Parts: sequence; C-alpha cells; structure tokens
Amino acid sequence: MRIVNETTNARVRKIVVYAIYIILLSSFQVSFPDTISLLGQTADLVFVFVVLSGYFNGFWDGAIVGFICGMVRDVFSPPAVLGLDGEVRVTAFIGVFTLFAAGITGASFFTKRMHRNIPFSIVAVIFTTFCYKVGGYLIIFGWSSMAGTTSTIYQPLTALVYSLLPQLLLNTLTAIPIIFLLRFLGPVSFRGRSGRDEIIEKQGEGTWLGI
Amino acid sequence: MKKLLKSKWFIALVVLLLLAACAVLSLLPGSPVKKALSPVQLVTSPAQSLVKRAGDTITDFWSAITDGIAIREENRALKEQIADLRYQLTQSEEAALRYEELKDALHIKDTFSNYVIYGASILSRESDEWFSTIRLNAGAVDGIELAEGNSYPVLDVEMNLVGRVIESSDTESRVLPLLHEGFAVAGKVNEVNGVTFMVVGDAELKRQGLCLAKDIDPDVHLEPGMEIVTSGDGGLFPEGIPIGVIETVDYSNPLEVTATIRPYSQIGKLEDVFIMIPYVEETEETAETAETAVG
Repeated sequence: MRIVNETTNARVRKIVVYAIYIILLSSFQVSFPDTISLLGQTADLVFVFVVLSGYFNGFWDGAIVGFICGMVRDVFSPPAVLGLDGEVRVTAFIGVFTLFAAGITGASFFTKRMHRNIPFSIVAVIFTTFCYKVGGYLIIFGWSSMAGTTSTIYQPLTALVYSLLPQLLLNTLTAIPIIFLLRFLGPVSFRGRSGRDEIIEKQGEGTWLGI
Repeated sequence: MKKLLKSKWFIALVVLLLLAACAVLSLLPGSPVKKALSPVQLVTSPAQSLVKRAGDTITDFWSAITDGIAIREENRALKEQIADLRYQLTQSEEAALRYEELKDALHIKDTFSNYVIYGASILSRESDEWFSTIRLNAGAVDGIELAEGNSYPVLDVEMNLVGRVIESSDTESRVLPLLHEGFAVAGKVNEVNGVTFMVVGDAELKRQGLCLAKDIDPDVHLEPGMEIVTSGDGGLFPEGIPIGVIETVDYSNPLEVTATIRPYSQIGKLEDVFIMIPYVEETEETAETAETAVG
C-alpha cells in the first residue's frame, strides 16, 4: 500500500514539476530572448532542460519531455523553410523532432557508466549541442542544395566561430542553474538515497508506463 | 520480432521517422498536419502571455525604481513639451484641413491609402538561430486572413519594414522577419526614378543585423548612407516603405554588385507592429452581383 502511495506521489510530482518547468522555460525563451543572447546566438534553455531531463531521469523522461517541449516550440516559434517550389513556409514538427532526439541523446550519453553524475552532465549538454548544430547545418545544406539556395549558408569556419562556439558556451552556462533545478527542485526526488539508477527505474522510467 | 517491438530504441527510431515525415508534409501547401498542434496552441498561448506579462511587470517595476529620478526630470520636461505641442496642434489642425482640401483638388494619392492597417502585439520572438518566426496576437478573427501564396507587409510604429505575414490562424499570425534567409523584397534608392534591386535576408549577415542588396546594375552608383525603400515591384509591398540605409557597397565583381543594408526596424526592441492589408474596393461587377442576389 505504501509503495502504491509512493508511486502515485512520484507521478503527481513528476507531471506537475515538468509542466511548470516546460511552460516557464519555453515562455521565457521566446518572450525575452535578448536577455540570454551573446554574439548573435541565444542560449537554448529548453534544449538544455530536455537533455538534462534525459540524462538525470532516464530515457522515457528525455523522450516525453523532449516531445512536449518540441510541440510547444513548434507553436511558439516554428522555423520558416524555403520549400522546393520556392515559397517560404512555416513548418511543423521540426521542433518536436529536434527536442525528442535531444532528449534521447542526453539519456543515452554514458549515463549508466558515469552513474548520472553532475559534472559529466555538462559534457552531455556540450555533446548534444554539438550534434544539434552540426546536424542542423548538414540538414540545411542538404535541403538548400535541393532548393537551389546554397548562397545563404554559413561557410564552415564562420559556422564554427559565430554559431557553434557561442552556442556551446551559452548552453554550458545555462546548464548550471538547470542542473540544480533538476537535481534539487526536480521532478524526481533523490533525497537520502544513493542508488540513483534504482530510483529512476522505480520513479523515472517505470512511472510513465503507469500514466 | 516481439523483442524488437518492445525495444525503446526501435520505438524512438519509428517516432523520429514519423516526425521527419510530418515535418516534410507540413511544407506542402494547405497541409493539414499543422492542425495537430492546435490543441497545444490553445493551452500554451495563454500561459506564455501570462509569463510575458509577469516578466514585463517585473522589468517595468525595476525600471521604475532605477529610473525614478530620471523619470521625474523627464516628466517635468515633458509637461513643458505638452504645452508647446498643444499650441502646435492647434496650428496643425488648420494646416491639415487645408491639406485635405488641396489633396482633393489636386488628386494627390496617399502612398498607403489603398491599405487597411491593423495593429498587433508581438507574442513571441525567435527562440534560436533556426526557430526564427515571430508570433503576433492578430489572426483571422481580427481580419488577418491569408490566402495560399499571399502575404501582407508588417511595419513598426515608425512605418519601417519589419517583415511579412506568412501564416495566420484564427487568433494569431506568424511573421517572416526581414533578416530571415527566406525574405526577399524589391527595393530602390529613395529618390525619384531610383534604381531598383532585390533586398534579401542572408545567413551570414543576419548575425550582424544586416541584410543584402543584390541584382544591382553595375553602372549605378550607390554609396553608404543612401536610404532604401520598397520599390513596389511585385505588388506585394507598396512603394515607399522605408527599409534601411546602405552600410557597404561591393563593386569588386562587376557582374555581381552587392550592398549591405542596415534595417531601420530593430525587431528585438519592438512590442507592437502594424499589418498592411490591401483594401478590396467593391468593383462594378461585384456590386452588380450583389444587386442581382438581393433582387
């Protein structure tokens, strides 16, 4: 009986805390982007949050939080893409794709080997941001070549200096407060327990299956 | 097979493939895929407005504290200015009456008289380098209805070009900003018979807050500081909307003369914008149709 109550409480806490963080971070990201910008890039609070949710709380947390955050991003600021017919159109589901992939990448980045320790979570953020930027440029390059608009693409060196490096710096700095939010005011309670993976099995991964 | 279907990696791969397919499908004209996000919009939009309002209130409160003394000084100066402006207003009202009389007499056509102008507030801005459209709080219910392939110019409070509306829902519209790589407008130097060229967004210039002028006639002399306005070619944007000023001109390749333009509008600082919608005049044909229908 006690186990049932614990699981129910964990579920409620998880949903409420995630909902609050998703709304707050997504809204802040698109309402005040200038306050978190440097060298023409904006710190991606939501992206970092999704990666760290996956890293600390398991695969399904990363996947589900990434999916929901992606939908919110597609509503708030979807990308506009040049279609093959030459018309610029607002797209849907690119945000979901990106953040879902970021969530599962963060959840799979040496999490068990490193026992989800805090310092290595910064490496997870850096690695996932690197993959996002490089993958993004490759997709843009491929799509622009198909649409015949290669003139508007960054040169590799420009992309490295003015896009990748500032974004890595900003996301790494952003990760620090978000790590503390997730570990100490987060959706999963780790208080007084040492077996993190066991807690995640009980409160993290398994919890979603019961919803 | 059963093991494969239960594998989290297999599930994730299938979801990613489905999402990629949905993203490509959403690029098709009139794609219904985007409607799947409507319930999310219904829930998240009010929440985001609330967070934005709270943030603005905190910023305003902080400004009120830090700028208190400066505001008092400014208030005193503004009161003096108001008195002065009241006097000028009385003079201007008379001048305006005279202008209207002359306008009718000389058939002067206002530049934007064929457009209905709607005001809207910016709800959300670009969230990063690639997720870069702007959301406005005016949609079809406010008169911003967009047919496929159509678009409306968006201006700031000083009537400078900000971008164009590329999608609208019932309550919101999305704007493609001037600096976006997909943006293009015919521009010209702001003078009589000014030379025309294309003004486009460029990925590399975007981070410096600039856009690119291309397709420039090599025989034409352009120099930094010249004002660029819309030329009216193409019919989407009316002639004469200020875009910005030329910052640099590159004549190194005579076959491809380019210039960089610093736009007047600073999207990061904007709160309110105006959408210009062409005024549809009732033609004789539609009037006849309406009469027949009534008859």
